[in-house]
Amino acid sequence: MTYRTKLKGITGFKLEALTDPSLPGKGPGRHAAKNPNFVLYEFTVQANAIGDGSASVAVPLHGAKADYSQGNYPVVGAIDGKPNTAWAIASQFHKPHQATFLTRSPLGDEDETELTMRLDQHYGGCRTIGRLRISAMTGEPSAAVLPDAIVTILKQPAAKRTAKQRQALATHFASLNPKLNQLRERQKELLNQIKNQPQLTTLVMVEQEKPRMNRVFNRGNFKDPAEKVSAQTPQVLHQFSPGLPRNRLGLARWLTAPENPLTARVTVNRWWAEFFGRGIVTTKEDFGTQGERPSHPELLDYLAYELVNHGWSRKSVHKLIVMSATYCQSSRATGKAWQQDPGNELLARGPRFRLSAETIRDNALVVSGLMTHKLGGPPVYPPQPAGIWRHVGRNEPKFLTSVGPDRFRRGIYVVWRRSAPYPSFTNFDAPDRAICVVNRSRTNTPLQALTLLNDPAYIEMARAFSKRIVRHGSGLSDRQRAEHAFQLAVARKPQADELATLLQIVRDQRERLGKDKTRSQQLVSKADHDAKDLVELAAWFYVANILLNLDETITKG
Amino acid sequence: MRRLRKVSVVNPLESYLRNLTRRELFQRVGFGVGGLALASLLKKDGCWAESPSGRAATGGSLPGKSPHFAPRAKNVIFLHMIGAPSQLDLFDDKPLLRQNDGQLCPEELIKGKRFAFLRGHPRLRGSKFQFSRHGESGQVFSELLPHLSGVADELAIIKSMHTDHFNHGPSQLFLLTGFGRFGRPSMGSWVSYGLGTENQSLPGFVVLITGSVGGAGNSMWGSGFLPTLHQGIEFRTKGDPVLFLSNPSGIDAADRRRIVDTVNRLNQKQLADVGDPEISTRISQYEMAYRMQSSVPELMDLSGEPKHIHEMYGTSPGKTSFANNCLLARRLVERGVRFVQLFDQGWDHHGGLNKSLPNKCKQVDQPAAALIRDLKQRGLLDETLVVWASEFGRTPMLQNDRVTGGRDHHKDAYCIWMAGGGIQGGVTVGRTDDLGYFPVEDAVHVHDFQATLLHLLGIDHEQLTYKYQGRQFRLTDVHGEVVRKVLA
Repeated sequence: MTYRTKLKGITGFKLEALTDPSLPGKGPGRHAAKNPNFVLYEFTVQANAIGDGSASVAVPLHGAKADYSQGNYPVVGAIDGKPNTAWAIASQFHKPHQATFLTRSPLGDEDETELTMRLDQHYGGCRTIGRLRISAMTGEPSAAVLPDAIVTILKQPAAKRTAKQRQALATHFASLNPKLNQLRERQKELLNQIKNQPQLTTLVMVEQEKPRMNRVFNRGNFKDPAEKVSAQTPQVLHQFSPGLPRNRLGLARWLTAPENPLTARVTVNRWWAEFFGRGIVTTKEDFGTQGERPSHPELLDYLAYELVNHGWSRKSVHKLIVMSATYCQSSRATGKAWQQDPGNELLARGPRFRLSAETIRDNALVVSGLMTHKLGGPPVYPPQPAGIWRHVGRNEPKFLTSVGPDRFRRGIYVVWRRSAPYPSFTNFDAPDRAICVVNRSRTNTPLQALTLLNDPAYIEMARAFSKRIVRHGSGLSDRQRAEHAFQLAVARKPQADELATLLQIVRDQRERLGKDKTRSQQLVSKADHDAKDLVELAAWFYVANILLNLDETITKG
Repeated sequence: MRRLRKVSVVNPLESYLRNLTRRELFQRVGFGVGGLALASLLKKDGCWAESPSGRAATGGSLPGKSPHFAPRAKNVIFLHMIGAPSQLDLFDDKPLLRQNDGQLCPEELIKGKRFAFLRGHPRLRGSKFQFSRHGESGQVFSELLPHLSGVADELAIIKSMHTDHFNHGPSQLFLLTGFGRFGRPSMGSWVSYGLGTENQSLPGFVVLITGSVGGAGNSMWGSGFLPTLHQGIEFRTKGDPVLFLSNPSGIDAADRRRIVDTVNRLNQKQLADVGDPEISTRISQYEMAYRMQSSVPELMDLSGEPKHIHEMYGTSPGKTSFANNCLLARRLVERGVRFVQLFDQGWDHHGGLNKSLPNKCKQVDQPAAALIRDLKQRGLLDETLVVWASEFGRTPMLQNDRVTGGRDHHKDAYCIWMAGGGIQGGVTVGRTDDLGYFPVEDAVHVHDFQATLLHLLGIDHEQLTYKYQGRQFRLTDVHGEVVRKVLA
């Protein structure tokens, strides 16, 4: 069969085998009244653009779908190129059937296209299609096949459809969305992965069948044991219910029992402190008689209640806090307001405080584009000055600086030795972890300035940041680059004078470094020593170094 | 009132406060370090006419107890001999021990005792070195300390020190943090916390090291639960003296000046916009960082010292040596650094003592004596306390072979000396028994020594506290008595 069409962007073809009173048993095949089957061995299409004089070419088809296929005769047999596979429809006789086939790429261009189609139905016994209708499809081809149930619904006037039917339509419509289907596939894969994941457990302890006998040590001296003791919860708190097992599970249940408000209060207070830089109870580690009173007791209770009431969902409380009007306030304030409430105890402005040691590094890694987001695994060894680990102990393990992506992983993965902690962290108030410090101090020292200005790790980040600025987009003006860099560092657009300050630096350095290749090379990474944009990389290094040192860059709010 | 605070800062040093963040400062007002002292300072600072935290002031009555007494010393130079030198071969002359050299140790001395290494029934060991009296005071020194014996009249020697631990790490921690396990603030941190620093371009607590420290590691100068600001800063003799001090290659001083200027200009704008006084502190800290980039290398460069000083100390510029560190210590206190801690490794003479101890003494004797003389000739000795100490002493019993000699760790008796600010020179405090095993007169426990050191700085050791996990902590825990006999 040969057709000519001016259709553009043909994405598939639909074959319909229709019924007709003139056919045996109404069809759709022609074989016999009781068995009006057809067998379609192969469906092929040739296309030829009219007028350009080219020869016709075969159109590869795929994605065969049918409303119904007979057991050993799946519809895909009609386009698989094999002479002994075919599509048939026993035993769904006496009703119309349809199949769709998709083109690999849209067919039909500016001019008319000549399509030559061939249906191979050589089974014998007149097992051929009685009434054939062929359609060329454009647009989303998967919408072409409609299950009977959907057709029935669609035949009804929209106003008369029941809620259930409307739902069925919506579901069917959604099922045709290829993006959604991809996600469903992915979800299925992931769920499978989760299901097949071996159960990971960490052995913390195993209860002894007979609990060990313990004694108090006088003044902590293990050589001076005193009276025997057994596990018990503090009497001043709620009772340890006699029904609870006397083990870790029982302790967990006791901790989270409804009559114990403390667990939830302590928990939300720590989150609050993360967001606001100061807890509602400022002694985060101490809710006892020696701790500070809460500044907003009702707020603390409300948040604690919300936590428990939402099934201990941390996300629900985080959302509640960060979407609150209090949190969303600007941290700008008048000098008087800062004087009256330097710690923002009254929450009259948004939080503003310096990031923690680890976060300062994480933030700079993200700004510079170096961050590796890999999760888990053994500790990593970012660059640090030589000689730090000589305090580590007798064996003096080697500090083998990570190369590759490990070098740029988050601060929580940085190796920790109590006797030789990572110096740029301790400079920003990370304790050496010899003792548990819940409330870290937040100091402001010249060593912090030196760290951000000169620590080779931060210089590496500044170089990468400069490269990110220079190689972002093409043909951008200095102004656009500076705006982009500023946005990356502090998440806002620069004001005119801020921009002018940065642009002046770039211009001056570009002029100076243009004449000084050696110095330019010193300011970029080795790999870029012979780069075409060497001078640009070196000039923007200054901007990168400056931006990574801004108070605003290392401050939240 | 629930929040009665002890007043614990003796001298409200503004510089100390400048180093704190404002917020930290106000938190602190509610936390322990001298509400009174800070309150008075707040009044001085025009910006903060009223007590801004409100918390410390509620309830009104800050306690009126006055812990103040005039400090006898402003600065400390603490010379720590890592490993523990043998007091029995340096200061504590025991003729009876010499007479009984090679005899079995009396059983009553070792009954129920544990030692780090000695097992079975050890033998006594007398010193192989000659002792003699020196100076007008007639202090006793062995021949291994010819220079220190020359300043005998400046030293107060405590011969009855004792401690609680017989392994290096715990004992180092006990001496320097008052507790035998990790986590407590070091002595220098306590002093920095209590008194602050007088120099704006140098840290208040500086550490200088020869050899490796091992044992307790950097916890000996750590800040524990005190703000990390008070931790000791190691000035290294290789690479940058202070970490990250030097500019990266390609950035010269002029570049750095311009970068710091630009950072500060942008921060200034942010300050005008947001108003957070923390930004103003950050600006001044960037200025200080810039100043440190020239002041620290200048400080560390000994080449400008005259020849006679080098000869006196036995120093040579550019070398890593205890002598160089002693000279650096003088330069540091000259510049107002509050607490300078020197660590010198190599005193753990379980064996080979006869050869190794004289070698170590040669490295330390001359510069330690020179330090005292030099401080004195500059008029700095009156305000500088010099301490020579170790984590414990060594046993009167022999360890290892008789020929080379050796002694095990001994916690029950050892010697330290102090000199300078507030110290009565030429006194010997305490006495041990005839074998040098136990103190028999004026025993001085580590906590007593700590109390004395703080006392000399004008601090009542019972009042210098920091609240952590529900209680007030002290360097001296619940112990300590000032050793009056060393005081001038």
